[in-house]
Amino acid sequence: MEFGPQVLENIALAGDAAHIPDKIFAKLVTCACQGVLNEDQRNIVEENPAFKDTNKAVLKAAFSGLVTLIIEAAKHDSSDQNISSLLEECKYTADKINEFSKIFLPQKPHIQLLLGKIGFSFPHIVDVDWRLDYYIKNNNVEKVNSGVYLISLKTEIPGEHELKDFQFSCTVEQLQDLVGKLRDATKCMERIAQV
Amino acid sequence: MLLVYEDSHKEHLSFLTDLETEVLKEFGRISLNFIRKGINPKIFQGAAQKLGVPVETVQHGVEGLMYLLIEGSRFLLNEVDFQDSLMTLGFSEETRSTLLELYLEHRREVRQILDDMSLDLPHYHNLEWRFDVQLASRSLRHQVAPLVLLKLQTKDDEAKKTTLLQTDPVNLVHVTHVLEEALQEMKSGYFRRIARNIK
Amino acid sequence: MEEVDRIIVHSLRSIGCDLEDDVQSLRQFTTEVIVSTVVRCLKVILGDIDLPSSLPPGMSARFRLGASLANHVQDLGYKGGDLGYQTFLYSNETEIRKIFMFLVEKLPKDTSQTADEPMGSSVLLHRAISTELGYQLSLAWLPPYLKDKGVRTRTRPPGWQREGAFCLHHFRGRHISTPRSVGSLTVKIPKELRSYYTNHLPYVTNQTSLHRDTAPSVMETNVLEVASHQEWENEWNQLGLASRLTQQEFKRRKHERLMKMVKERLQQDSQHQNGPDSRAAASDLQQILSNIEAQSKNTGLRSKGSRFAHTEKLQYAADEDKAMTQVGANVATKDTEEEQEKKRQEEQERLRSELANITSDLEKLELEVRKFTAGRQKMEEIIASETKAIVEKKDTFSVKKRTLDLLPQAEDNIAKLQAIVDASRQRLANLAKQWEAHRDPLLEQYRQLGDLNSKRESEAQKKLEEIKQFRERMKETADDTRRKDELYKQLISEYERMTKDVNRSAYTRKIMEIVANIKKQKQEIDKILVDTKSVQKEINLLTGKLDRTFAVTDELIFRDAKRDESVKKAYRLLAALHENFEQLIQTVQDTGVVMREIKDLEEQIETESNKKILSNLEKISADLQQMKKENSGLLAKVKGK
Repeated sequence: MEFGPQVLENIALAGDAAHIPDKIFAKLVTCACQGVLNEDQRNIVEENPAFKDTNKAVLKAAFSGLVTLIIEAAKHDSSDQNISSLLEECKYTADKINEFSKIFLPQKPHIQLLLGKIGFSFPHIVDVDWRLDYYIKNNNVEKVNSGVYLISLKTEIPGEHELKDFQFSCTVEQLQDLVGKLRDATKCMERIAQV
Repeated sequence: MLLVYEDSHKEHLSFLTDLETEVLKEFGRISLNFIRKGINPKIFQGAAQKLGVPVETVQHGVEGLMYLLIEGSRFLLNEVDFQDSLMTLGFSEETRSTLLELYLEHRREVRQILDDMSLDLPHYHNLEWRFDVQLASRSLRHQVAPLVLLKLQTKDDEAKKTTLLQTDPVNLVHVTHVLEEALQEMKSGYFRRIARNIK
Repeated sequence: MEEVDRIIVHSLRSIGCDLEDDVQSLRQFTTEVIVSTVVRCLKVILGDIDLPSSLPPGMSARFRLGASLANHVQDLGYKGGDLGYQTFLYSNETEIRKIFMFLVEKLPKDTSQTADEPMGSSVLLHRAISTELGYQLSLAWLPPYLKDKGVRTRTRPPGWQREGAFCLHHFRGRHISTPRSVGSLTVKIPKELRSYYTNHLPYVTNQTSLHRDTAPSVMETNVLEVASHQEWENEWNQLGLASRLTQQEFKRRKHERLMKMVKERLQQDSQHQNGPDSRAAASDLQQILSNIEAQSKNTGLRSKGSRFAHTEKLQYAADEDKAMTQVGANVATKDTEEEQEKKRQEEQERLRSELANITSDLEKLELEVRKFTAGRQKMEEIIASETKAIVEKKDTFSVKKRTLDLLPQAEDNIAKLQAIVDASRQRLANLAKQWEAHRDPLLEQYRQLGDLNSKRESEAQKKLEEIKQFRERMKETADDTRRKDELYKQLISEYERMTKDVNRSAYTRKIMEIVANIKKQKQEIDKILVDTKSVQKEINLLTGKLDRTFAVTDELIFRDAKRDESVKKAYRLLAALHENFEQLIQTVQDTGVVMREIKDLEEQIETESNKKILSNLEKISADLQQMKKENSGLLAKVKGK
């Protein structure tokens, strides 16, 4: 976890009782968590009457410091210890450090979930549909008479809102091959899970 | 069932009834080659010169024979039906047996060729998988997210297509389970009854 | 024995034997408990062995279990007497105690230590992966529409996992601005900037157009700052310190240098280009250059970040404008396609011709303007040169006029002028002298002040360094404290873990007491031995004396007996007396022997009764009965078949 000098200054500002009074510090930390997490609360500080009497420029700086701290701490999964040593360096009192941890730690998993959603992936299979046909004849050949499967893999693609199908057909032997390979993969995972 | 011929067809084939066995075998070989690789007109001329007949007659004969073989294979005629179909054309005993031999020997191959020409859906070709665990990302440095990467190859006619997909353990188990059930369906009484009844 | 029992019972409990709380001595152990605890001990010692942990119901199975237990214990190296199934099934206290003492000694001692050993990170990772996989595989499948955009949250263990990809979006960092140095008193912020911060700057979480970009943007902003800070630090350490400038000056120099470079390059390039079109561009360039100069003068101290922000904002503004015009155009068109097309084309045509007209007009006008400006410049130049000529002429005129005025009384005037010149010279010399007089002390003072200043500066430097050292020490101390706190916590937890054990010190104290007791007893035994020895000696002495006295008396009386009849009688009496006493002593000795034998026998009875022979015998006969029953049952079964 590394911070630029300006960010550190802003974090220190948030812990400085001369600028941010003790009684709104907790509220500011809560707001920082909420503001990062929820879209409809992104402007929560402005709307909150508790911060009416505080110097807005200072408040904005302190808020940005806290937001950066929260996001970076969640990103690196920092322990309570690391956070408190960092805050100590920013001249926080022990009470404030406790207060911060008390508010932040329960929110950490949620913020990590938010951060975990940033990324990219291949189409992700979430379900499968199948259909078994009895293939009787076609224009060239009569009496084909064999079972044919139509498989449709339902995939999720990042940034889209509808499931997308990936369709292909296979004969019984091909399906056996496919299922065998998938079963291999499942078995492999089960083995790893048991270690 | 018997094959049904049109008049022109009968006429074309009548040329073959008079040929010697050896020559008929040669004609059979040529027809099969044509079925496999397409028609080559030069061969008609060579044969016509050798036999001392017009090129068209040879061509019609070979084409008639090709049609005969293809239709037979298409309907999967059995020995008796095929022979009876030949009989209506006036082939002698000897030539009939020669043609029957040719037909029986190559029926599978011809069917395969016909099958390859028919409508094809993109079908499964190969699957490769790999088990990954996502340990970190740009925005989250400590995580453990198991993933299975799948490389699915499908084939449409001759064109291979590779698709990269991924899934998580829960969905993989589910997909495997569902497809296993699908395979079981093939063995069910319902399917077998249908397969037995449609012949 | 009680102590031994308590130790055994405690160690048995510590390896996980299921003993009742009130069990204190081995006497309370039933056969089942004995078997199960022995099995438990063997499992702990040998690791994996295949033994049932409770007594099986069938007699033959019990017998087999007892025999295999005996085998295992003997394999471990037990040497105290012959072991067999009876030792466990028909137990007696002493033997069982011996076996348990042996087994407890054999128990692995450092089980707790091996478990606490720190694991390698790769092992931890593997374990984390396998537990995560285990959790996921144990979950039931959910259809995608039941999950929140492919994310599934778990309650036990708390957490989440991705089972889809809808939730994913790209990492997009946007520019984010935060108030800078508003808290520090040393940096002055311009009033306009402060009012911008206070009134208009949105909060950090409200700056990006999409809320989901907030986190990446904040991260990137921080990374950017860290990186530029590091870069600056490197540069400052390599070049800045050597240049002996303050940081600000160094920055300004660098900035100026860069600006100059840019300007030169731009000028060079603009000279390379020619043709009418480039004229306008060149003038634009000129403007930018002058802007640059102005900027470098005004805001030489601004850092790179803010400049970047500035240009970016400009770009955004332009984009927005474009977007606005496009939007405007879109609204206006609501007719059908063809009409629109036609209209558009007409409009285009019209506009194009208009544009052509306007451009041609413009060109004409520009030409005129240029002509006019050229004419004006020429005129201005002429005017300037004319005015200059006029001024010059006026000057020469006035000088000439004055000299002409002076001409009539030339002598007088010359003398007067001479006097004036002299006086001024005198005054100058005076002033120079005065200046010298003032200058010296001032210079002196200046030098002194300079010295003082440098001294003070060095002191300040020293103090700064001291402060830095103090800071470092503070940090170190804080780290130290934290470390010690941790150690303290660890020790406390260890201590807590330890108190669960029966206190060692109590044991050692008891052992010491026992040892002391044994010593005391040994001393007493020694004393008794010494006593016995002395008594023996005395007895020997007395016997000797008696023998001797008897011999002398015997001889004396025997000699007289030949002569005197009464003496003869006395001799006979003496012999009888002696014999009687001898008998008496013999009897006493025999009594002692019998007493000892009795004691021995009593002890034997004690030990035998300890062995619970009676109850064991009863048990054995009962078991025999059962065995017989089982056998007969089996026989019946065999016959039944």
